[in-house]
Amino acid sequence: MLEVRDLSVAYGGLRALEAVTLSVAERQFVTLVGPNGAGKSTLFKTISGVVSPVSGSISFAGEDLLSRRPSERAHLGIAHVPEGRQVFKTLTVRENLEMGAYPKAGRAHWAQTLDRIQTLFPILAERAGQLAGTLSGGEQQMLAIGRGLACAPRLLMLDEPSMGLAPSVADTIFERISQIHREDGVTILLVEQRVAEALERSDHGYVLETGHIVLEGRYETLLADDRVRRSYLGLTEA
Amino acid sequence: MKQGAGPHLRRNLTVLAVVSVVYLVVAMSVTNSYYQLILTLVPVWALFGVSWNILSGYGGQLSFGHASFFGIGAYAVTLGVVYWSLSPWLGIPLGMVLAGLAAIAIGFPTFRLRGHYFALSMLAYPLAILYVMQYLGFQEVSMPMHRESGLRFMEFSEPRIYTLLAVLLLVGGVAVSLVIENSRFGLALLAIRQNELAAEAAGINARLWKMRSLVVSGMMGAVAGGFYARVLLVVTPDSVFGMLVSAQAVVVTLFGGVASVWGPVIGAAILVPLAETLQAELGTYLPGIQGVVYGIAIIAIMLLSPDGLYWTIGDRWFRRAAPDGIPDLGPDLEPLPPPVRRASTHAAGPLLQVEGLSRAFGGLRAVSDVSFSITEGEILGIIGPNGAGKTTLFNVLNGVLAADEGSARLDGQALLGRKTFEVCRMGVGRTFQVVRSFPRLSVLDNVIVGAYGAGLADREAIAQAVRALHQVGLQDRSGVPAGQLTNKQLRLMELARALAGHPRLLLLDETLAGLGREECDDVLGVLARVRTQGMTICIIEHTMHAMMRLADRFVVLDHGRVLATGLPRAVVEDASVIEAYLGKKWLARRDA
Amino acid sequence: MDLEILIENVLNAVTAGITIGCIYGLMCIGLGLIFGIMRIVNFAQGELLMLGMFASFYLVSEGRVLSFLGPYWGPFIGAMSAAPLIFTGGALLHKFLISRVSGLRTVGSLDEGHFGQLVVTLGISLILQNGGQILFGSTPVAVRTPLSSEAFLIGPVYHGATVFLNKAKLVAFFVAVLAAVVLYVTLEYTRLGKALRAAADNPTAATYMGIDVDRAYRIAFGLGSGITAVAGGLMATYISFTPFVGFDYVIIMYSGVVLGGMGSIFGAFWGGVTVGFVQQFSALILPPQLQNAAIFVVFLMIVLLRPQGLFGRSAERA
Repeated sequence: MLEVRDLSVAYGGLRALEAVTLSVAERQFVTLVGPNGAGKSTLFKTISGVVSPVSGSISFAGEDLLSRRPSERAHLGIAHVPEGRQVFKTLTVRENLEMGAYPKAGRAHWAQTLDRIQTLFPILAERAGQLAGTLSGGEQQMLAIGRGLACAPRLLMLDEPSMGLAPSVADTIFERISQIHREDGVTILLVEQRVAEALERSDHGYVLETGHIVLEGRYETLLADDRVRRSYLGLTEA
Repeated sequence: MKQGAGPHLRRNLTVLAVVSVVYLVVAMSVTNSYYQLILTLVPVWALFGVSWNILSGYGGQLSFGHASFFGIGAYAVTLGVVYWSLSPWLGIPLGMVLAGLAAIAIGFPTFRLRGHYFALSMLAYPLAILYVMQYLGFQEVSMPMHRESGLRFMEFSEPRIYTLLAVLLLVGGVAVSLVIENSRFGLALLAIRQNELAAEAAGINARLWKMRSLVVSGMMGAVAGGFYARVLLVVTPDSVFGMLVSAQAVVVTLFGGVASVWGPVIGAAILVPLAETLQAELGTYLPGIQGVVYGIAIIAIMLLSPDGLYWTIGDRWFRRAAPDGIPDLGPDLEPLPPPVRRASTHAAGPLLQVEGLSRAFGGLRAVSDVSFSITEGEILGIIGPNGAGKTTLFNVLNGVLAADEGSARLDGQALLGRKTFEVCRMGVGRTFQVVRSFPRLSVLDNVIVGAYGAGLADREAIAQAVRALHQVGLQDRSGVPAGQLTNKQLRLMELARALAGHPRLLLLDETLAGLGREECDDVLGVLARVRTQGMTICIIEHTMHAMMRLADRFVVLDHGRVLATGLPRAVVEDASVIEAYLGKKWLARRDA
Repeated sequence: MDLEILIENVLNAVTAGITIGCIYGLMCIGLGLIFGIMRIVNFAQGELLMLGMFASFYLVSEGRVLSFLGPYWGPFIGAMSAAPLIFTGGALLHKFLISRVSGLRTVGSLDEGHFGQLVVTLGISLILQNGGQILFGSTPVAVRTPLSSEAFLIGPVYHGATVFLNKAKLVAFFVAVLAAVVLYVTLEYTRLGKALRAAADNPTAATYMGIDVDRAYRIAFGLGSGITAVAGGLMATYISFTPFVGFDYVIIMYSGVVLGGMGSIFGAFWGGVTVGFVQQFSALILPPQLQNAAIFVVFLMIVLLRPQGLFGRSAERA
């Protein structure tokens, strides 16, 4: 469904991504892990169009994504749950979800979609009228995911959903993500720093380090590979 | 003085002299009185633009209310003549004094603001004065004629003498501006404009320099206003305090070239005759054409060449190869051996001692009960996952943020509670993640800012900057405009700027971010060398493999707390550290 | 006797403060929209006010398009019809000029692009003011309505103290409040309104949602221009104006927006009401020329003492 080929991205002199190739098939759950500064968020930003690549291609459902304007891409069915949640702090919880449903696909079956979101995250129903900026970190993350689901996406991209959250809260989030994948059949691309939690639920994993894909495979393979730890903790050059 | 300032200044003054002479020759040959007036007004508005440029061009403090000073000067002269028979020769200096005082009164409250708040507030002052003037009944004040004692009252029957005077005043103003531009005053202002925070971290007392620039700028503006009143003979509140007056300073400077003394001169030379002529020719059918011309000019310049004509043309036509090495600085400035380190007062204790440091933002504890120490000559690496509070820690140590609790001592002296530039003077150098240089200035000039900040005198400052460049290995690029440097070289330049301030402790924030393998090695080599020469370094980095090679010890931060300290090898094997980076389950599986 | 006069003056100042204040409030909402949603410092907002006045004047005066509406309804309908005209003008200004120095292009730059915005809008202001002088001349004009010289009399309230409610201002007041309510409803409850607020809150996240932030900004700028123009059209019924009138009101607008808190659109409304009150009450003690100076003082005090205003969020302080 999503094909990234040879993607290279640079921010004014700094090469964030170098010839990255990865793919996500329909209904797959793919995880991208890597240490800080590896370029994980850059990949998402490029897919969403906020950043432009130097070279390479991205295609979604067979269509060339890079030729589309950023604000058009959500309408194709790509939902981006950004790093740091980025909820609309001055809008209420309900309004945030409504904004998630901005594309036509979202509005089509809004009642059912909203119902599903509120079943997954009951807290969002409870706090529907509250300003999103007053929610706790974990609640904001749930709202951000709910917002991503609101457009009935074909691809759900999640950028470090566990960041800044207490471990137990992060665990709940991971469970819900798995649930969404299992029960709703949504295609998922997850980026995470917490390697094991992320990898064990996914079908396929990639390891990104300083802009390069250095490892890929099924999670048991990666989990057993000490190269992952060494990559994170800077021991690869030793 | 800036490096190379001497010849640069001489060159500019020569140009100034030549241009003035040519202008006067042209002016003397014109006989039409209306054109004579225009030729007189051009230097007046140019002078006003030059004055505005000092505050808003060099200093970057965009002000829409420079008419305050223009009007003060105008009314000082006019009221002086009308009520006290005070000669304008004295009235203009009086206006300068009053404007200087006004600048101080205005500066104190208003410099607490930034950006658009500052610009809008500055707008309010001339308007308030305008209304007060109207209230006081000075709707229209005309200067009486004093034909008998014309010279005493700066009154001449020959209008071209006014042109001469105007040009002389402009020459004076340009000379002052050139001196400022080439001195540490100018460099300090440029640094503040570029990045006030980094300037403070380099030891520059921003408040003080901004105030100085406002006073000088105001006094010069009053001179322009005073002379204007003398020439026009009639003063109304609107004609000297009004919006169009303030706008004129902005327009001619931005159009001609901001932050260069020639900008307002070029701008005035082009726009004033254009607008005045159009006003004269078409004024009956199209009243207000002047304002329209200024409006179009300024929009066009902002969209097409935001720095102004001088820079755009200068960049394009005079792109010569810049000299690479250090130009002739004299034999006594050969690279000297590194200076002897100051003997520490507490020779036994650590150089930096941090205890119980905490800082929260609302409910978020960015830094929580952090304690560690650094011994002299050590390289300490601060690492931790994203959002761990590392940069906040530096910001607190540096004086950018206040601490909620805890203490930090540099060689026994308290570090917290001081302003950023004071911390720098105490011997703490800092680099920032995003390097902002002055792209058109040479590398050496960029580095000299750091030396000035440490309070060194001019010659010493240049010498120190040269030494710093040698330390980082950029001595062959010192004459190159900073805009032409590569990423790695920019990082090294930033390092040199911090070194030029003669620090005892260097706080480096992600110096290696985004560098390739080889470049990283180069910078690591420089850092190692700097340390062997006696520097103490505390560095935040994410590039782990580099840190492993460079740092003597690690401090690991997670969620604002210290997770572990110790030797690098030990720390990366530490269970809690692995958990912080890779997650609990990874750890569990590994141990399983 | 004195007490009676004092009470009469105070009561009249209160009613004038409320009526004029709400019109100022409407004017400030326009700027609040532009600054609150887009963080654009629009120096030309006063000229948009002026254009609203002249648009109304040219639509409604004798022999013109809407003059058939007569002197009672005409001016107020004229004020409202100015809105779509200036809305379009504002949107075009944004599209061709202002968007080049604002929006996502300038996010993250040193001063968030304010320098460029201030300068470009200064240029627009100069062109509109002086261009206005060329097109409309500098003789003061007004939109005539007989209502401006009629008033409701309430009272005697206290031993002969009477409150005068100028009819023109009263009608203008109602229209202003109505316009503000309509805008409020649009922003709070419609999909477009929510999208505008989302784009203001977090343009990057809004793009992820599929909202075209550039278009949202253009609409917001047009709305802000149109609303201010309506306020102008309403003011045209009780003041006389020249193409330079905008300038007197720039400081009032900025004071209102800053007082209400930059970032809060309806805070700007209350800020405008407050400034209106200050102005009317200062008329009791100060001579006319100093009234405006009083507003400057208020502006400076707010900016120095409480830059976040009554309802606002962040401030830029040293």
